[in-house]
Amino acid sequence: MFRRQAEIATDPVAFEAFYRRHVDAVTRFLARRVDDPHMVADLVAEVFMAVLDSAHTYRAGRGTEIAWLCGVASNTLSAERRRAFKESRLTNRMSGQRPLDADDLARLEERIDAERKARQIFTAMADLPEGERAVLELVVIDQLTVTEAAMALGIRPGNAKVRLHRARRKMREVPLVREETSR
Amino acid sequence: MSFEEQILMEVKAEIIARAERRRRTRKRLFAGAAMAGLAAVAAVAVPLLTGSEQAAYAVTKNTNGTINVKLNEFKDADKLEQDLKRMGVSADITYLEAGKTCQGTRGDIVGGGSPEEWENSASAKAARLLAGGGVEIDPRQVGNGQTLVMMFAGDKDHVFGAKKSGTQWSLPTYVVNGQVKPCVVVDDPLWKDVDGSGRPPAGS
Repeated sequence: MFRRQAEIATDPVAFEAFYRRHVDAVTRFLARRVDDPHMVADLVAEVFMAVLDSAHTYRAGRGTEIAWLCGVASNTLSAERRRAFKESRLTNRMSGQRPLDADDLARLEERIDAERKARQIFTAMADLPEGERAVLELVVIDQLTVTEAAMALGIRPGNAKVRLHRARRKMREVPLVREETSR
Repeated sequence: MSFEEQILMEVKAEIIARAERRRRTRKRLFAGAAMAGLAAVAAVAVPLLTGSEQAAYAVTKNTNGTINVKLNEFKDADKLEQDLKRMGVSADITYLEAGKTCQGTRGDIVGGGSPEEWENSASAKAARLLAGGGVEIDPRQVGNGQTLVMMFAGDKDHVFGAKKSGTQWSLPTYVVNGQVKPCVVVDDPLWKDVDGSGRPPAGS
């Protein structure tokens, strides 16, 4: 399993299979966090480029492919936000660059619209401490298990459980969210 | 082409570019070793098919026993099969239009039992995709009574390595025990899924 993960970074055929398996989940993950279609498309490309650099960090038995990929995606997103923040101070604008045709645009806008609730919840969670918010985000919004969330964040499952418990206590209404975002 | 397909092409191009960079680094290492008077074991290629500017393919034998097939065009599959036969590989090559594949499996596939079995099987090791459009074949993985089955699908006039965006291709390969069934051309479901509906392929 580990060897197959390394292979996705070097073998175009293995990569293609991996990509087709996960591109939708990654797009949804990003649509929950970013509301500009061009930006979402840009980030999808960046996440899978980052996969090439990080493929060796995947270990079977410590979680699913999707959990690992969520970790890669959140790192990519944080890096992009830091970069965009710096840039916005210089140019006062922030938007995606990827050219999209009408069809792409419509599909992405639909996805982003479908995740509107999730983005509202993010706003509600903004006051939580960073570590707790990250766990709650992955478990409640991205529907990962606690163990998977721990893997995505590179922390121990016990640690993730404690953070989740604290975050939940601070946000009593969040359990309802699970029903709204699950499909 | 959908943005998903566009991104897939970009990342695949990056994988190939990285492989190319690694290859060049290795080459430099070999050159360095030779200059230092050490035994240089560089991969010396002996071209068997050169000649006119653009043959449909070129076959070269590597010193480590493997064979490189560089594909320029999707044609002359029969001739390529004969060339490979002479070099000790019995192969079955099919060129398909973009978005097509051969129906089902085409015989008793070596290592076809489970993913784990596949990983160390002759099927997984017999052919490897090369940067720049081609395959490296290891004749030792294809035994007596076995056939290396390769199905190239892509745009008919697609020229490998020409950096033409908007083309995609796929290359399933495996080794078959005994008889190889003829290819019944069908639509490739994986190809279609990403292009059309945007739904994930079945099973994901």
